[in-house]
Amino acid sequence: MARDATRRRVLAAAAAALPLVLAGCKGIAALGSPPKPAPDVSVATDAIAVEQQLIAHYGAVLAAVPGLAATLRPLLDQHHDHLALLRARLIVPHGGQPLPSPRATARGRAPVPGTTAAALGYLRDAEDAAAAALLAHLAAAPRSLAQLLASISASEATHALVLGTAARHR
Amino acid sequence: MTAAGAAVAALQGALAAENSAVYGYGVAGAHLTGARRAAALRNWVAHQNARDALAAMLAARGAQPVAAAAAYQLPFPVHGAGAAVSLATVLEDRLCAAYLGLVGLADQALRAFGAREARTAALRAAAWRGSTLAFPGLDVPAARPPARASGSAPSSGRPHGSPTPSHPG
Repeated sequence: MARDATRRRVLAAAAAALPLVLAGCKGIAALGSPPKPAPDVSVATDAIAVEQQLIAHYGAVLAAVPGLAATLRPLLDQHHDHLALLRARLIVPHGGQPLPSPRATARGRAPVPGTTAAALGYLRDAEDAAAAALLAHLAAAPRSLAQLLASISASEATHALVLGTAARHR
Repeated sequence: MTAAGAAVAALQGALAAENSAVYGYGVAGAHLTGARRAAALRNWVAHQNARDALAAMLAARGAQPVAAAAAYQLPFPVHGAGAAVSLATVLEDRLCAAYLGLVGLADQALRAFGAREARTAALRAAAWRGSTLAFPGLDVPAARPPARASGSAPSSGRPHGSPTPSHPG
């Protein structure tokens, strides 16, 4: 039902833009596309979702293997730093669209492994995946956001290094 | 500045950082032994290769690659292994920042190249530092101390600055 409503809105938006397109207003013709956030907003919201997902993975592992807290807390703290800075990049105008609801759960991945080494490997893989996901947005991001994404992605690569090293020492 | 001019300036910035790293690793390696000396030597060679690659990229754009200085002013005296590790850390931090300069360009290929090299520098810096940073290469005030890594290279202080040419020009 919600999808129908969205589709109606899209159709309505397209119909509303039609006269402008016919009038040859190329610059305004973009209004005919479905209403969606500007590219930098969607890049930032996607990056926020990536961080929330990682934080959820850390939470799941900490709940399953509390003995890893000393190793994981510092890394988790840095993800909270990532999230805070990404959120600060988003300025939602008054009356603007609310942010997409976060996918802040660890679902969608295999359950957290019970052994310490396997749990560390699980998080290392999650860090690698997050680092790659952020880089995939590099082309669409405005310059300063691209630099922030690359820095956070590099930070996650270093986390994966730490987790992989810790897993080998267990 | 034109897009081409911005690309050349960012590439020159990365090249200057690589030149300084080649010099700095030569100093650091002399004060290290064993596995850390081997790592310094590996990185020294890697930075010479990166320097040559950047020089070629600049030449391909019709720009004169910035020359290495004969000697560089180190950010702090290096008389032992601890300072040598700190120097290597600073060199990689500085490189990470320089390569993020390429990520700030409009050119997509240079963006991707910069991100890849920034990641490599961040990994080397983390190995030397023995801990990770939330925002490698970016001047973001730290909300909390760097995260400690277990079982990695010994930690070092976080001196600021980097080797600068002692005879500019």
